[in-house]
Amino acid sequence: MTKAQRRIAKGRGAAVRGAIGRWGATPYLFILPWLVGFVAFTLGPLLFSAAMSLFSWPVLGAPRFVGLGNYRTMLTDDPQFWKSLAITLKFAAIFVPLNLAAALGLALLISRPVRGAALFRSIFYLPSVVSSVAVAIVWSWILNSEYGILNWLLGRLGLQGPRWLQDPAWAVIAMVITSLWGVGTMMLIFYTALKSIPRDIYEDALIAGASPIQQFFSITLPLITPSFLFNLITSTIGAMQQLSLVLLLTKGGPLKSTYFYGLYVYENAFRHFKLGYAAANAWFMFIIILVLTGLIFKSSSLWVFYEHEVAGARKGGNA
Amino acid sequence: MKRRRSGVLTVSLVFVLALGGCAAKKPEKVSIRFATWDSEETLALQQALVDQFVATNPDIEVVLEGYGDDFDTKLAAGLGAEDAPDVMYMWNFSHYKGGLEPLDGWIAKEKRGFKKDFYETLFNYTSIDNKTLGLPIGYTTHVVYYNKALFDKAGVSYPKGDWTWDELLATAKKVANPKEKIYGFAFQGAPDPYDFEHYLWNAGAGYLGAEGKLRGGIDSPKVIALLEKMQTAMKEGYAVATEGSGAKELRSGKVAMFINGSWSMPAIQKDGIPFGLAKLPSVEEGRPSVSVVSISGIAMYAKSKHKEAAWRFMKFWTSAEANKFRIGHEMPVLRSVAEGEKLTADPLMSVYYTMLEQSAGHVPTSYRVENWSELSDKIGQALQKIFNPSIYESPEKSIAALVE
Repeated sequence: MTKAQRRIAKGRGAAVRGAIGRWGATPYLFILPWLVGFVAFTLGPLLFSAAMSLFSWPVLGAPRFVGLGNYRTMLTDDPQFWKSLAITLKFAAIFVPLNLAAALGLALLISRPVRGAALFRSIFYLPSVVSSVAVAIVWSWILNSEYGILNWLLGRLGLQGPRWLQDPAWAVIAMVITSLWGVGTMMLIFYTALKSIPRDIYEDALIAGASPIQQFFSITLPLITPSFLFNLITSTIGAMQQLSLVLLLTKGGPLKSTYFYGLYVYENAFRHFKLGYAAANAWFMFIIILVLTGLIFKSSSLWVFYEHEVAGARKGGNA
Repeated sequence: MKRRRSGVLTVSLVFVLALGGCAAKKPEKVSIRFATWDSEETLALQQALVDQFVATNPDIEVVLEGYGDDFDTKLAAGLGAEDAPDVMYMWNFSHYKGGLEPLDGWIAKEKRGFKKDFYETLFNYTSIDNKTLGLPIGYTTHVVYYNKALFDKAGVSYPKGDWTWDELLATAKKVANPKEKIYGFAFQGAPDPYDFEHYLWNAGAGYLGAEGKLRGGIDSPKVIALLEKMQTAMKEGYAVATEGSGAKELRSGKVAMFINGSWSMPAIQKDGIPFGLAKLPSVEEGRPSVSVVSISGIAMYAKSKHKEAAWRFMKFWTSAEANKFRIGHEMPVLRSVAEGEKLTADPLMSVYYTMLEQSAGHVPTSYRVENWSELSDKIGQALQKIFNPSIYESPEKSIAALVE
């Protein structure tokens, strides 16, 4: 934070304190609708599900307190728990890097000052606004092993396409490809980050004789690392929570090869009617995501570059 | 149409209010909630039928709740919160039995013969442990769909009357055209064990043996032999395992036959594809084939506060006029309606009714065990291993591992 920014922040804080003094609880009344919604629909259910995870809680019939029994069963006596966790981690490990690379690649393409860039921007973003139900139906056709267009195209290239949705070895890959379809939002975030890099830095680099590749690795990439961090975290969380796609496209098959953790939780709750157990499953995933996000954040000091942290130093150097 | 109806409603409302004013006594109005899985056009049709009921029963108000594809999730949530609708559509009776009102007492209060007009097999599918938990609304049995154009092209005559699996597969072989990637028959690569049980029934077995265990049931030699025949047909290339029922492939002219309930009909008819329906094949000649029934019923919430009103509504919903009203998207479950409307003489619809008559006396395993959702998972995995072309595990091995 620069001195000026700090001053502004300080001033704003004082103004807020003044407001409370002058108007009492009035400001809180204004945010009350949100607060009520938050407590009733987010915080409340969250705490309730934590309590539920300590019960054997059938949909029909009375709940019975089991302490940490659900967690014990899950960790020691339910092979599907570990399988689903492994499948989900595998999916995330393949999907997240590809997703980031694809989003960045597309963002670089559309940030070029060429004719039609605006059109492509819309086209690349379009799949992100299509409902996941429609996406699933379209992809079930594209991926059809006998008559799908993907295998037809591969056939034209002389390749025998796999049975995407029927072969347990390929189904996760098919899910990765289908998920990449929604890359548009992340692309836009990278795009705005790219656009906010001042042009004069590139001009300096050009004069200094840096090649486009050097420019990319020494200027572009470091300057967009904050967006990279954001996209990495949201993408990881999204991958760990993936549900709608498998629910619609594979139902966890073939042979449970796409039985993601989200589907496992969903089916425990609504198919097997084990609400308490499903709540325990969900909390375990919450903790995993918390730890993963924490690790990524912790590592970020090593590779994320915040301009304002050095901006003062640079200005000082200039003076 | 809609506007006129609301006009009539307004007029009758004014009339009712005026009457109420005259009598100086407000009739106590009871409001019941009715949950359905329908959406869009069929939901609008149901609303129209609800309106008919309300018009003749001014003391009852019915709130139609269209849950659509989320039906099971929302119903489970409602039951869990002890706030389920008073009347609900129902298909998975074994799953929800704990929340449903046994109806035998209500039926006993009606005129004798209340159940007589229903196809009696259907009550097997709405009852558990000899308790009637629902009334049938619609049903479908499973039949063989065939694409007439592909049969004509191959110069093969259409299937007719009773036939066996051997005949079906021989026919499939004749109709198939490997060069054009046309298959004679489509199996479901990942069959739903509920729908699959009639293959076992036709082989004289069921999932469970006499002791209620998988051993002595699904591992019967006749079942294994049938599964082997099916797998061979796929390996030899004239049958194919499809991701769905096979309807998509039939519609695109790539598959000549598949088996499913009536759900596939509207899309095939809309595409204008010439098709016919045949009975399921049996395993042995001379033994009529049987089919699993997929049921739509309605049930009452066990903790409903307005059971009297709910029951009156349920009676209306299963009446002959309601059955007639639904023709076109739900097959009538009353003999008088099916016969009176000539459905039992219709070349397509009659096949479902014949299969229904032939299937009397069979009850799916899901109605008889406590842990069906887990059991069906295991059976489904074993079947997938047999039908999945990337695996093609031998039926003997797969079933042996399941029974272990």
